[in-house]
Amino acid sequence: MLNNLKYLLNFEWLNHVGMGTAKGVFLALFVVTGILVLLIPSAYIYDGVEEKRWYHNLKLWAWGDLAVIFAIYYIF
Amino acid sequence: MLHGIDYFIVIMYMLGIMMLGLYFARFVRSADDFFLSGRSLPFWVVGMSIVATDISAMDFVGVSGQSYRFGIAVGNFDWLGSIPAMILAAFIFVPYFWKAGLYTIPEYLGRRYNDGVRAVASLTWIIFFALDLGVLFWAMAVMFEPLMGWPPWFSITVTAIVVGLYTFFGGLTAVVMTDVVQMIIMFVGGAAVVVLGLYNAGGWGGLTDKIAAMGEAYQNHFKLIQPANAQTPFPWTGILFGLTLVMSNAYMIGNQAIVQRCLATKSVWHAKASMLCGAFFKMFIPVLVMFPGLIAVAMYPGMEDGDQAFPTLVKNLLPPGLRGLLFAGFLAGLMSTIDSILNSTATLWTKDVYERFLKKGASGRHYMIVGQLATVVLLIFGVITSPLSKQFPGIYVAIQTFLSFFQGPAFSVLLLGMFWPRATQWGGLVGLVGGIFTSALLYIFKDRIFTIEDPFLYVSWWSFVAGVLLNVIVSLATKPHPRGRLVGLVYGLADKVQAETAG
Repeated sequence: MLNNLKYLLNFEWLNHVGMGTAKGVFLALFVVTGILVLLIPSAYIYDGVEEKRWYHNLKLWAWGDLAVIFAIYYIF
Repeated sequence: MLHGIDYFIVIMYMLGIMMLGLYFARFVRSADDFFLSGRSLPFWVVGMSIVATDISAMDFVGVSGQSYRFGIAVGNFDWLGSIPAMILAAFIFVPYFWKAGLYTIPEYLGRRYNDGVRAVASLTWIIFFALDLGVLFWAMAVMFEPLMGWPPWFSITVTAIVVGLYTFFGGLTAVVMTDVVQMIIMFVGGAAVVVLGLYNAGGWGGLTDKIAAMGEAYQNHFKLIQPANAQTPFPWTGILFGLTLVMSNAYMIGNQAIVQRCLATKSVWHAKASMLCGAFFKMFIPVLVMFPGLIAVAMYPGMEDGDQAFPTLVKNLLPPGLRGLLFAGFLAGLMSTIDSILNSTATLWTKDVYERFLKKGASGRHYMIVGQLATVVLLIFGVITSPLSKQFPGIYVAIQTFLSFFQGPAFSVLLLGMFWPRATQWGGLVGLVGGIFTSALLYIFKDRIFTIEDPFLYVSWWSFVAGVLLNVIVSLATKPHPRGRLVGLVYGLADKVQAETAG
């Protein structure tokens, strides 16, 4: 009983997953986040802006942040 | 030890930051000014303030200590453990909180669930912040003692007076504006250590070569992702489930000290932009706080206490003048965290406890004075309890341990509250309390249950799961809230109700 609980709580069932796959999971997370940002309606992004400019597009800000972190995790 | 020029820089920094903070006291006339800066702040000020609040003494001493022992995997806390969560906060949670005109996150929970959830969440944060203050003060004293030669009680008292004065009179505006200056000083001071350290270690190539040549024990020092069966506190499973999915979101979305600044911005666009701007600056933090640990591995291998890595580098590498600048940066990190905690805890106490349960309907000035008095009481509590931190072996892990106790359950009620209209008041209350109880149980039996060193990431994940399950089960068994009551509190519900009405 305790061993089964330990197996579950310590994620021992994921021990066989390789490091390459694990890294892929994190990189995929950044890509999925970027896609979800893409799907946000523009009206919601610009809500609160009086005079719209290209740099008010917060999707570009989010993608910039994600690009940097993707590169860091790709390299290391 | 510091030289005369270093003392001069440190003292000038403290006087300067106190005067800057006190300058903003002239703009504080009501509770709205004291707690939310009259909702007037631009995004870049808040973005920088978020980073200054987040980075502290623990990061300089604790993270470099952890990177000395475990390598760059500790950088996950500032990269993976911040950026996705800050994007989620920017686009989903913060705009809702801002539009609802909130002062605190528990206030949202009160409106979404009930006053019980609000009270438990608020008191939990108040207790956590109060304990955190003591740890922060002690971390600073640990740094002060070898460099300045000051006994802990003296350095703690001096810092408490400086921070206390401008936080008491200037409120959130003073806190945020001093944070901006403090972040710049921190970045300059931290960069000085990294640049000089890398130069002495033979550049990036020299650093990696030296560590790689140290043998088997250091083979994972430059890997962010570590095996699931790694015996460090950072296996990838813990990083994914505990940190990325729970702790980072709980911290960036549910932490009053972080989110309160976003609520003080001048428009909902600025609120969203402040988080994304903060995320950009946040990506540089590991360079400042993690690299010193790696440099120390290459230059001073074999240290028994990793937490001595950063002080050792400062002592041996930096010339007079730069040492003072770095020390000012270190102090800036610490003071920006302490002032934020003081102001946020005062806000929680005043808005969620005092105004809600003790005295309703008083004037804005009355609540401002209550907030100021709470600031003083907290400061005294933090100073008195600071020596208790000595009992914990790793400063940074101690803080994470405190955090993981509450973060999972708190995030579970926030998440279901925002995305699941069926979550009820009793579901929220049972989920929160039951989740915290689960954390406590897991900690009590952690040596029998968990196989990794300090399993705070696993505890936060499983307590989150417990919170979600309990919330769902109890919600389905209890009466749902009327949909009209949830408009503006549940994501996308306003559009659905509007469509239904039109249909």
